[in-house]
Amino acid sequence: MPKSSFYEEEVYPSPMRQTWNEFQRNHIALGGLWCLVFFLLTSLVGPMLLPYGPLQQNTDALLLAPAWAANGDIEHLFGTDALGRDILTRVAHGCRITFGVSFILVILSMLVGCSIGAYAGMSRGIRSSVINHLLDAIMAIPTLLIAIIIVAILGTGLMNAMWAISLALIPQFIHQTRDIVRREFHKEYVTAARLDGAGNNRILFHSILPNMIEMLVVQGTMALSVAILDVSALGFLSLGAQSPSPELGAMLSDSLETAYVAPWSIALPGAAIFLMVLSINLVGDGLRTALKNRLTQ
Amino acid sequence: MNKLHWLGLAMLVPLGTGCQDLQDRTVQRQGLIYCSEGSPVTFNPQLDISGTTADAAAHQIYDRLLEFDSQTSKIVPALASSWLVSDDGLTYTLQLRKDVTFHSTEYFQPTRLFNADDVLFSINRWRLSTHPFHAVSGGTYPYFESLGLQEMVEEVNRINGYRVEIKLKKPDSSFLATLATDFSVMLSQEYADQLMAAGDPDSIDTLPIGTGPFKFERFRKNNYIRYQRHPDYWDGPAHQKHLIFDITPSSSMRLAKLITGECDVIAFPAQTELKVVEERPDLVLEEKPGLNVGFWAFNTNKPPFDDERVRRALAMAIDKNTLLDAVYFDSAVAAKGLIPPTSWAYDESQKEVHYNPVMARQLLDEANIPAGFSMDIWAMPVERAYNPNATKMAELIQSYLQRVGIRANIVSYEWATFRRLLRQGMHDSVLIGWSADNADPDNFYRPLLSCSAIASGTNRAGWCNPAYDDLIDEALRYTEEEIRQYYYQQANDILSAQMPLVPIAHAYRFQAYRRGITGLEINPFGGIRFAKVDKAMQ
Amino acid sequence: MLIYLGRRLNLLVITLLILCIASYILAFLVPGDPLINLSGNPSPSADQSAQLRLMYALDQGYVAGFWQYLKLTLAGNWGLSLTSQNPVFQDILQFLPASLELSFYAMLISLLVGLPLGIMAGLKHRKFADMGILSVSLMGFSVPVFWLALLLILIFALQWGMLPISGRLSLLYEVPHQSGFMLIDILLADISDKSAVLNDAIRHLVLPTLSLSIVTSALVIRLTRRSVINVMSSDYIKAAYAKGLSHAQVFWRHGMKNALLPIMPQLAMQFTVLLTNAMIIEVIFSWPGIGEWLIQAIYQRDFPAIRGGMLAVSSLVVIFTIAVDIIIRLIYPLSKRQFHAQV
Repeated sequence: MPKSSFYEEEVYPSPMRQTWNEFQRNHIALGGLWCLVFFLLTSLVGPMLLPYGPLQQNTDALLLAPAWAANGDIEHLFGTDALGRDILTRVAHGCRITFGVSFILVILSMLVGCSIGAYAGMSRGIRSSVINHLLDAIMAIPTLLIAIIIVAILGTGLMNAMWAISLALIPQFIHQTRDIVRREFHKEYVTAARLDGAGNNRILFHSILPNMIEMLVVQGTMALSVAILDVSALGFLSLGAQSPSPELGAMLSDSLETAYVAPWSIALPGAAIFLMVLSINLVGDGLRTALKNRLTQ
Repeated sequence: MNKLHWLGLAMLVPLGTGCQDLQDRTVQRQGLIYCSEGSPVTFNPQLDISGTTADAAAHQIYDRLLEFDSQTSKIVPALASSWLVSDDGLTYTLQLRKDVTFHSTEYFQPTRLFNADDVLFSINRWRLSTHPFHAVSGGTYPYFESLGLQEMVEEVNRINGYRVEIKLKKPDSSFLATLATDFSVMLSQEYADQLMAAGDPDSIDTLPIGTGPFKFERFRKNNYIRYQRHPDYWDGPAHQKHLIFDITPSSSMRLAKLITGECDVIAFPAQTELKVVEERPDLVLEEKPGLNVGFWAFNTNKPPFDDERVRRALAMAIDKNTLLDAVYFDSAVAAKGLIPPTSWAYDESQKEVHYNPVMARQLLDEANIPAGFSMDIWAMPVERAYNPNATKMAELIQSYLQRVGIRANIVSYEWATFRRLLRQGMHDSVLIGWSADNADPDNFYRPLLSCSAIASGTNRAGWCNPAYDDLIDEALRYTEEEIRQYYYQQANDILSAQMPLVPIAHAYRFQAYRRGITGLEINPFGGIRFAKVDKAMQ
Repeated sequence: MLIYLGRRLNLLVITLLILCIASYILAFLVPGDPLINLSGNPSPSADQSAQLRLMYALDQGYVAGFWQYLKLTLAGNWGLSLTSQNPVFQDILQFLPASLELSFYAMLISLLVGLPLGIMAGLKHRKFADMGILSVSLMGFSVPVFWLALLLILIFALQWGMLPISGRLSLLYEVPHQSGFMLIDILLADISDKSAVLNDAIRHLVLPTLSLSIVTSALVIRLTRRSVINVMSSDYIKAAYAKGLSHAQVFWRHGMKNALLPIMPQLAMQFTVLLTNAMIIEVIFSWPGIGEWLIQAIYQRDFPAIRGGMLAVSSLVVIFTIAVDIIIRLIYPLSKRQFHAQV
């Protein structure tokens, strides 16, 4: 919006603003963002707009092809599954479950991970060394493997799968936060704050945290894509969400039974996961590049 | 399609398919792979009545004294080359074949041919609770127990090495059919003695020895069963050198494997997949009427269903042909009575109740059933060949009943609960059915509607008619089919008049296999047989 | 260097010990009698029970019990599986090679495809080729591996009928189990139709390997590309150009080695990701590997098998990680602690 101004003022955009400007220049990443917003809307309001329930069966329309196929029906845009449930409705509900659950997981593990990470970053000596070494070992194990092992112990079910995945995601946040905190602690602005008499906690919350947020967002998007893949993978293996639930992975494993007769019942939930993860990765990549560009400017 | 994908493929395809054409057909041809639906519980069909066990063992590893012809369902000679029934119908004398060898495997080498001792051993094992092998592997013989055969058989005698005499306590013309069922297999006494001496009797049912066309090689639970040809099989060696059961519980996976050629034959194609099999030129779908019946039974102990007029009225209120179209997708024939058309006892002339809602209403009025009367229809929760979708059928019946002024509620429980409550007689009416174990018509008449079947829980109508019981008992006294037919016709007349249940359909049995497989015949009942199956080069 | 080695080995021993402790505690946490969970004997007689209690030192406190458990575990006595009653350790030895074989081939393909493409993208930074490769790799990296496998099955197996979809080898063939690696076993086996059997085994490998390697290739491309970009913009490369060297000379003499060496550990780490994805792929393709075995055990709540499988897989991953760490350090002493995959 043009603003009439008599004087040429020099405007310094805030760092966040700079990152955003940088991000906007990347059209693919911006597309990813729109796609992500679309999924967000789908999972928030989609289920309300659709006339069917996710578990509602219609025995007159079993295994109906999508609307554009010769024997499709406009009543069921993406067709129906073996029990006559509307696939579009189920996918919309599935997005809500898969996306929502993953989002909560990431926030949870970010909170826990950052707290431990900050503590580890500020502590010295044997405690720090033990945490470091253990982290090294755990970080090497893929999150899905950790999650499978935890589910094996806790038992199957969506709730247990959520615990498992959030536990599995925590180490990378610890690692990231610890590294940042440790690095920042040696910088001049922290020393300045310390000379002003600030304590460790004050430095952490007032000086270092604002500098960390962008890194955390980047890390969070990466974790979100991992979480979505893991939630749906556990659902697919029937270790997470169980069968009648419209969780996308569980839906996929449901439709295995009709894979050949109704390929669309496999295509759609899978495509939803794929696009969701792809858009998150695009946004994450875009953010990281933008951040790097800003910092090297 | 993404680029990487093609690159990856480009690197692999030369390795994978380059020499596809050179594939050694002779190796492929020597074996047959059957994708079965589950792991057998045991390799001895005496111990288990499930179809999975029968498929895996009955006709592969073992033989019976007698056999059903798979085309005509008549009893034909097997290990017994001929038989004689005494005039009083109490003594059966069986002449055994003299050229029958047992399997020679890594765990057992037979030193003698099959003879009367093996017959005595096999029958006495389930008959006598004092028999040393009776208690081995659990000691329950469900098929024989359900027919009360332990009490029925008086004694089994060895007349000479190749002649056996079986004496019954009372005549039973279905006894020969019993000897031909999947469960009446012949075991090796010599092998049993050897195991007993080694202190390992349980192996008789896990490492089986029989006289059948294939000998057992290896079994990995939930994985595979391997069989090898029995080279000295008395009826000519099996056409395939190897037989493999690839255990694949998921029906879509079985179909997929059939398409990719990993299976030659699959068990139980699902109803939804039948069209796929029919449409593909490389697959064959064969159907044959099965020995089963799906029906709608009324609880005749509960008013107003104790009134035959009500039962007849309800039978008239529904149109069977619509049910056949919608539920069986035309893979069944409409049922007139209990007996399917494939049986010799099928009664072409049986009186049938036709669709007639007006007449139905009249009958209901006579019986003082007001419009708006409400009843329950129980629909079984599982798929069976004789009724692939009971809930759907119940919904259709519901709409028919509405037209004669009856409100129907559909009731269903989880399968185990369903059967328990059914046995307690909590239902008004129920949609269920019956699959026969052998070709004898008694296998339909007795378990479904005799008074004694109320206690064992197979008489879903709870219907007891002494005249009917006398007729089917009388029929068993004779071996001549014409005489038995005469009694069964009278029994049918009682059923048509009383209508304790409405027979709905006799469903087909399906078999899907790859084109090029020949010699595979569907048995209307009992396990699958692979001895005469050929696999052509494609 | 020695100190470093000592530290790493120390870490290895401690981690493995922690895993053992965790698996021991598991026997007490999960439902059921700890004795059954440890031994896998579903209904021990009084006699056997007493004998087993003695064997696992269950009456002498947790510490003695754990010590006993540790000894048994090291001796390869991991109890019996509740469902199959097979010794768990023998089962694992039998199933693990199948998973390793699958992951190994997939890794090989991923490197063969990923490295050249990654380098190409890195060199043509911000050009059309780079964009193309990058977007393809981003897609490959976002696709859920189980969905990809299903699509491949639908196309190659069901639509075109080209490839088999289940198991490692047609059941018509039987190859004696020697190393557990199917291709090696076939070569070692004394059978008549070696080429036909080999061909069949390779045909069974194609689809699972392909589904696995697409995802991993995408990761390899991203890692390589970023490293190449970093190296090519560094001062010594500019210096090399300034000396008048050609593109090829600069890259092959200076760029390549410096770009690839630092990411070696990360590349090696992809193997563990691959092994995890292989567990899902095994379920889809009925591949008789450790993943399918473990997941079946989870379905059936077969605790001795879960415990064994968990211990085996996590130990394998930890040992592999630390071994890679040490080897890289040996051949490339410059590398610092920054080893963790950043994708």
